[in-house]
Amino acid sequence: MTIESELESIFPSNKDDPSNLGLRLGIIVGGSLSKGLTVKLDAGELPGSMIEQLAVGRYVVVQGLTERRFFCIVTDVSLEHTNPSIESNPPETTDIYTAEIYRSTLVYGRANVAPMLVLERDSEEPRPVKTIPAHFSVVSQANEEDVARVFGKADDDHFYIGNPIEMDQVPINVNLDRFIERSSGVFGKSGTGKSFITRTLLSGIVKSGKASCLIFDMHNDYGWAIKNEHGREYKGLQQLFDANRVNVITLDPETSQTRGNRHDGALHIPYDAIEPEDIAMLAGVLTLSEVQVNALYFLRRRLGRKWLRKLLSDDEHDQTELDEFIQQGDLIKGTLGAIQRKFEIFRHMGFLQTNVREDLVETLFQKLNSGISIVLEFGIYGDNLPAYMFVANYLTRRIHHRYVATKNKAFGHQGDEPNPLMIVIEEAHKFLDPEISQHTIFGTIARELRKYNVTLLVVDQRPSGIDDEVMSQIGTRVTCLLDNESDIRAVFSGVSGASALREVLARLDTQQQALIMGHAVPMPVVIRTRDYGPELYAEITGGESHDIQSDGEKVAQAKADLFG
Amino acid sequence: MLRSDTTGFTFGCLLPEPEVPLFGDFVKAPAQQGLTEIIGVIHNIVIEDDLFVRQLIAAPDLPDAYIQDQRRNRQIPIEVSVLSVGYSSGNTMIQGLPPQPPVTLDYIKRCSINDMIAFTDRQDYLALILNSKETPVDELIVAALQRASGARPIEDRALFLIQAGKELARLLSDDLSKLDSILRRIQVNT
Repeated sequence: MTIESELESIFPSNKDDPSNLGLRLGIIVGGSLSKGLTVKLDAGELPGSMIEQLAVGRYVVVQGLTERRFFCIVTDVSLEHTNPSIESNPPETTDIYTAEIYRSTLVYGRANVAPMLVLERDSEEPRPVKTIPAHFSVVSQANEEDVARVFGKADDDHFYIGNPIEMDQVPINVNLDRFIERSSGVFGKSGTGKSFITRTLLSGIVKSGKASCLIFDMHNDYGWAIKNEHGREYKGLQQLFDANRVNVITLDPETSQTRGNRHDGALHIPYDAIEPEDIAMLAGVLTLSEVQVNALYFLRRRLGRKWLRKLLSDDEHDQTELDEFIQQGDLIKGTLGAIQRKFEIFRHMGFLQTNVREDLVETLFQKLNSGISIVLEFGIYGDNLPAYMFVANYLTRRIHHRYVATKNKAFGHQGDEPNPLMIVIEEAHKFLDPEISQHTIFGTIARELRKYNVTLLVVDQRPSGIDDEVMSQIGTRVTCLLDNESDIRAVFSGVSGASALREVLARLDTQQQALIMGHAVPMPVVIRTRDYGPELYAEITGGESHDIQSDGEKVAQAKADLFG
Repeated sequence: MLRSDTTGFTFGCLLPEPEVPLFGDFVKAPAQQGLTEIIGVIHNIVIEDDLFVRQLIAAPDLPDAYIQDQRRNRQIPIEVSVLSVGYSSGNTMIQGLPPQPPVTLDYIKRCSINDMIAFTDRQDYLALILNSKETPVDELIVAALQRASGARPIEDRALFLIQAGKELARLLSDDLSKLDSILRRIQVNT
């Protein structure tokens, strides 16, 4: 027996089939479960080049000693050396031989990776990681099979949302059941593709029929076609689904008609249905003081259902009635005057009407409960934040109330469970501001989870403005590029171990890239979001792939893509 | 073979040896009754004086024939000291100190090119040289690598020197000035 074979029998070399592993990157040299693992990178074929191939956000697999495979995500990379004097006395750049020797041995790349999931021996289902691989475990690039195994296959429950970076063939699928089970959020600076991702997610949810969506569409992004900055047109939800799946209700029928958008009804709100609670949430944007808000409740109690109409009325009789409160000392003149001045804004909301024939809240509830999603287009009111917040608050309060009632009946075996509902709001930080979120319906919905089958999908560019308590209840977070430090911190609040992903988030591309983490994905993942285009239309409609662009438009698009 | 110990041995030779030993050369000596062959690197060559040399050196106008005669027919041999760096047992080359040193009056041979290539296929012997106390370590490493590289075909030399350089870098990671000077001389001399 030779010495080699003798040694081999004592210390058997790794018998893993190398073809099963991706490109070897290095070995584990330290770290912890909470702070992540430290990988000493191999020198690579061209010594020192390995680090340049390893971008943050990439997946790696660590082969443990006990046949466990740990799935990790790269969170940071750095340059290290074995001797500090190398920094003061580096080899001459012209001395290629010495530099190569140094790069192969004395200096090395280091990667920090956060362990996320572990695949136990003889198990197909990855589990959350509770231990870490042993020293000197080999780290290799995750191959496509690994990633596919973690994110599952696209089926009725899983919707294809994009591909991991540099793995164009591997689909990342979001678990829709889990996505709607808790409130979710789409965050990112403006212009990073929030609405495209949201539209993709919504089309997946509507197609699956797992929940109906009530979309408060501030900028007319979701209902009908939308053009991007290059002028390319994309289909809206109404073009992808028939009227049994998606209805568009408009607050501004004129603009909708001018734009050629088909709509299935106009929303009118009767003055007399408005309650002080509908307006109290606007205290911030209307700069109503606490005294003024309290005065609203007083007026409602004393004036009855017509309180708002009387407040806005120029009628002498109504004014006299109000003046009486002042004379009796129930109300200060300044308070009433301020309320009336601030309420002038309601006069410009054309959808507020004295007489409304149909109770649209009930109609909307019935539609939502029967699985029809509603896009509420704001038209010209999209730029009117008080109008947007008022309508969103008004409808959500009432629909939520109906859901609570229906759910309670179902508890008492007196009716069916209400169909799950996802309410989509933009500029969410205005609704979920720490000062008001305790009192608003949106704060309540976010906190009560899916108790009453209603969840939120918040779309926002300033997550730092959202109440921490609400933020911590957001189950799935889809985050495009954010660079404000406080926004980044907010996105990671309440996600254990995710702070390691900060660097990943701050390094996303400005468009079509997003970090998805939380309830609906087994582990955080950076994706290049799938194209919202003919292929997705075909999948949604189940028909042939066809583009709504003409050839001329395609040429223009290609030019724009190439030359900006 | 004059004398030996586990870490090395010294042999004697006369000047007209067909192959004059050189500093850094790889040589081999039989040991364990021919079971193993010890491989070493020459690290010192001593030419001592004797009584005749002392007398001759004082003599004026010495004819050239006298000088040549004295050189060829020395009373005291040239002493060549060798650092043991490994041994061969059968077909296996082992880098490390031999189990037994060679015994006196054994014949010492220079390693063939194939022996050198086979032995220097691994670089563990560099640690033995670096750890030796009584040798000019830097110079010996440069000279030994020069021989080992020269034994290889030209196309293999660069890779060999890189592997050797990596091993040196690992061994000298805490003494960069020494490493730097060795690496620089390797490039100049090979």
